[in-house]
Amino acid sequence: MSTRDGDAATDGAVGERVDGAEPADPGVDDEPRPATYRHLVRAVLYREYLVFVRYPANAVGGIVVALFFFGVLFYGGRMVAGRALTDSIEGIVVGYFLWTLSVGAYSSISNDIGSEVQWGTLERHVTSPFGFAPVALAKGAATVVRTFLTSAVVLAVMVVVTGTGLSVDVVTVVAIATLSVVSVLGLGFAAGGVAVLYKRIGNWLNLLQFGFVVLVSAPAFDIPWLAVLPLAHGSGMLQRAMVDGIRLWEFPPADLALLVGVAVGYLALGYVVFRAATNRARRLGVLGDY
Amino acid sequence: MSERSGKRTGPNADAATRPTGAVGSSDEGDRRRRPTDGVDRRDGEVAVAVERVTKRFGSGAGAVTAVDGVSLEVERGSIVGLLGPNGAGKTTLIKSVLGMVLPDEGTVRLLGTDIHADPRTAHARVDAMLEGARNDYWRLTVRENLRYFTTIDGVDPDSVAGRHERILDRLDLTEKADTPVRDLSRGMKQKVSLASVLAGGAEVVFLDEPTLGLDVESSRTLQRELRRLVEAEDLTVVLSSHDMDVIETVCDRVIVMSEGRVVADDSVTALLGGDDVDAVRVTSPDLDAELLAEVRERFDVTGAERVGDATRVEVAVDGDGLYDLLGFLRSRDAGLHAVRTVRPDLEDVFVSLTREEGGR
Repeated sequence: MSTRDGDAATDGAVGERVDGAEPADPGVDDEPRPATYRHLVRAVLYREYLVFVRYPANAVGGIVVALFFFGVLFYGGRMVAGRALTDSIEGIVVGYFLWTLSVGAYSSISNDIGSEVQWGTLERHVTSPFGFAPVALAKGAATVVRTFLTSAVVLAVMVVVTGTGLSVDVVTVVAIATLSVVSVLGLGFAAGGVAVLYKRIGNWLNLLQFGFVVLVSAPAFDIPWLAVLPLAHGSGMLQRAMVDGIRLWEFPPADLALLVGVAVGYLALGYVVFRAATNRARRLGVLGDY
Repeated sequence: MSERSGKRTGPNADAATRPTGAVGSSDEGDRRRRPTDGVDRRDGEVAVAVERVTKRFGSGAGAVTAVDGVSLEVERGSIVGLLGPNGAGKTTLIKSVLGMVLPDEGTVRLLGTDIHADPRTAHARVDAMLEGARNDYWRLTVRENLRYFTTIDGVDPDSVAGRHERILDRLDLTEKADTPVRDLSRGMKQKVSLASVLAGGAEVVFLDEPTLGLDVESSRTLQRELRRLVEAEDLTVVLSSHDMDVIETVCDRVIVMSEGRVVADDSVTALLGGDDVDAVRVTSPDLDAELLAEVRERFDVTGAERVGDATRVEVAVDGDGLYDLLGFLRSRDAGLHAVRTVRPDLEDVFVSLTREEGGR
């Protein structure tokens, strides 16, 4: 029986075994075991990793484009606004970091579902005994992890280029940024559901990501009702954490509760929309069509 | 241990009792696992039960009834061919059975589970290849696809690694196991799709055009493997194809659909008219015009033509008619170059059935 360690049987190099395990013996009968959600998440993450390392052009291209736009924003803005922009550069860096993270997570999950439809692999996920929505959620989580890695590179370059002194307490930044992006993941879920139903509306759905700029820069601490919008409250907290050096446990419990509530609320809302859209697609017989 | 008990032990075999963080407990798996002394064949058990399923698209005058009150059953451990012209409702029916299309009326049970009431339990025991070579991730290798989709199908891929090697070997994919699918030929991609569908150990599989794009040898390999799986492992296969030779070779039974309805549902042999001879084709050098006229008077001649220096005549006969014809020719001292029985093939039967239905 194979002793391979799950999906880590091969590394980036195609077919190269990294754990020294012998190939499975085809003559040995199997004892099939049910897969758990842990297996599901690991499989989805591993697939994301393989695509990332095997086809790095997409990931590198995304980083280059993000840095290019930041360069235009930073150097162009400095020419126009001079010192005024330099004074607020920390806020811009943090906001831009959260925006790239949000756009990456949102477009990945909404576009991913559209791509699965075109590739012909969506139907196989629909008929998964895990259920389509949990599988899509796992895929969304995998895209968030990947986006974190690329956005971290963007953040590091921005900090070096601008010479800003941001506080990067890893636990605080990861926790707040993740919870902020989870609310966007909910929107991505809803958009993915709409894409299953109406197909080829990716360009329209992508317009929404420009709205994230408004949400990231919304003054949620000054206008309380804005805090219930996705990203807004988390963006404010991330600014405080990275610019003012406030750590996660130093925030008021009410702020943390609101951050979690908004994340869970939008994720749940996105899940409901996704389920409703896929059920309608089933009724209309368009699930998997493109 | 049967190779293919994996999927039934998979997630959501009983969602109500599963522990947190797992979609199926090991106890659950043990309870549902097959005996270890071989194939757990259950003759007569119904794998797929479709009852009065109707699906309409659109509304009002423009509404189209894609599936019209279809009822059928597929016995466990059999291969059933689903035939029909384009637009006959095959794909809608298959998607309704898989829970991907919600029918307006009717019920579908897969191995006893109502697919629309409890899709997760049903999906733990069924898989489908609906997109041919597009059924997999082309950027992953063959083996990575098998492992990924085995997990998606609810089975820990490590626990069926030996099965994966056997499938790769039987489908002649071992050498390409670590090659990205995108680098393979169309036919190889098709085989990878089939391999990944079989990898999780589903008990019922739906295959849409499984031999499309395969060369003759690969098609035969695939057909052999399907028959082996059905006979050795009690697999149930519903196979949709326009390749009548494949249907005729591997299927135990054929269901023909036309305009959303089932117009024929019988064994291949029965559809072809049983073992009765339908016609006989006789070639004789002595069948001159005079003798041919006599034959026409006595028998139902359906065709006659000159073949070299002989005449070939086709006569519709039943049982004893063959003896009568040969006796008559002998009585006239007519020599014979060849005698051949003629039966319609499945394609003739299919065209005839769907044409009749289309003319209603």
